[in-house]
Amino acid sequence: MSHDEIRCRQLILEYLIEYEDGTMPESDRHRLDEHFAECPPCVVFLKSYRATGRTLRMLKPRDIPKNLADAVVRFVRARCKE
Amino acid sequence: MAEDQNASDLALVRRIKEGDEEAFREMVERYHARIYSLSYGVLRNAEDAEEATQDSFLTLYRKISTFDESKKFFSWFYRVALNQAYSRARRRKPVTTVPIDEYVPRLGSDGRGSPEFSAWVDGVEDEVIARNLAERAEEFIAELPEPYRDVIWMVDVEELKPADVAETLEISLPALKSRLHRARLHVRQRLAEATAVPPAESQGARANRVAP
Repeated sequence: MSHDEIRCRQLILEYLIEYEDGTMPESDRHRLDEHFAECPPCVVFLKSYRATGRTLRMLKPRDIPKNLADAVVRFVRARCKE
Repeated sequence: MAEDQNASDLALVRRIKEGDEEAFREMVERYHARIYSLSYGVLRNAEDAEEATQDSFLTLYRKISTFDESKKFFSWFYRVALNQAYSRARRRKPVTTVPIDEYVPRLGSDGRGSPEFSAWVDGVEDEVIARNLAERAEEFIAELPEPYRDVIWMVDVEELKPADVAETLEISLPALKSRLHRARLHVRQRLAEATAVPPAESQGARANRVAP
């Protein structure tokens, strides 16, 4: 199956998430593997989809303000005494 | 989230209900970073996120008696935190979002030949480029409508399990996956656009460029 803009777009919209999260049935997964083997543009897309995930994971760990836990406990105690 | 984590949470919850101050302190130690990060995902401002975190724990302290112990604690508490963050966000100036349907995948013209795109796709080897792209990705998440933004933040940034996020947001797992996928497609597309070099731009001008 060669690259076909409409068909490949459909594949990405409908099937890619289950392909990636491992919940896709084996037979369907095999069909997609076969497609990727023959369709370089879809492989580029798949790589960039995965790179998006890696990029997003770089946002973590976010800097947590110093002494936030202490500030939270002080805040709650103060409010509950009011 | 693991069952033993929930059992451990419930043990703390029971002690807090009995008025054990030390148990509340332990709960703060356990959850403050996650609640701050979740709040930041909605508010995107450190000061607001800190205040929303404090308000979330205040609500936890005051409303813990209403928590149904047959449910998972973290789902309940994350909903509390999301509600706090949303209510704070609504008091601020509304943020412009883009319609999600505009971001269906484009397969042919997203600058995949540019050096920056290659660096991104091939594993983000360069720390500076990677950091810059992550910051851009944060902006692109912020463009999304709220239901999509929360899902991608919780699953891909916070790395919570999709099933746990579905439970927290009270939506089905297929609905969550659909939102997550659309949100990822949007961010992927915007990253591709951000790293693409217009054909007209000269080789020399590319050298020092990370993203437009």
